[in-house]
Amino acid sequence: MDFCELTTDLIDITSVARRVVPPECGATVTLDGYVRKFTKDRETLHLFYEAYEPMALKEMQKLIEHAKKDFEISNVGIVHRLGRLEIGETSVVISVAAPHRKAAFAACEWMIRELKRTVPIWKKEVYADGEVWVQGESGPPAAPSSNQEES
Amino acid sequence: MSVRVLFFGATAAAAGIRETYVEVADSSKVAAVTNLVIGHHPALEGHKLLFSVNQEYAERDACISDGDELAIFTAVSGG
Repeated sequence: MDFCELTTDLIDITSVARRVVPPECGATVTLDGYVRKFTKDRETLHLFYEAYEPMALKEMQKLIEHAKKDFEISNVGIVHRLGRLEIGETSVVISVAAPHRKAAFAACEWMIRELKRTVPIWKKEVYADGEVWVQGESGPPAAPSSNQEES
Repeated sequence: MSVRVLFFGATAAAAGIRETYVEVADSSKVAAVTNLVIGHHPALEGHKLLFSVNQEYAERDACISDGDELAIFTAVSGG
């Protein structure tokens, strides 16, 4: 079963990873993205995420459909957290189940890169001396074979 | 015609609102609606803006119809 969700609750990574597992699969690759305390030399106190929820869910669904066409994978689950997040809390989980691990690693890497460019979610970093809405690097959707640097 | 306009993140902070309705001429384009909105909320100027119409990414020259939902935002930063 594929799924994509937005939630303001803590994300249970293990349950996301388990929900994608079908009988024909031999490996699940799970990305656990969490809140970093230091970006370069600046200390983050906490983060705040907001989404254009209906469009974000549509774009997440598109990512899954695209990835399933281009990689030999079976199921994908994507869960993104919204609201206030403390340091170390999980902001995004992407779990990819596949018959063999290689495709799962490649698809997971492609999906997080694309999610950061295309899914309408925004992050506000709150520092001791101010706050800033982070600007990502949006662009046209990229083919899965493209090899861009991660932001 | 009437268009619902939504703001998120940096554009919501700049505009000071999350949502508004604007009246524009029939078959206006994204650019025309955006210019009108920037006129009301000048702090949006200077941001590199992206758009969606009815929850699909759209360019400035995309046409808008009565009742459409236009979102104006900056480069996404989830993950």
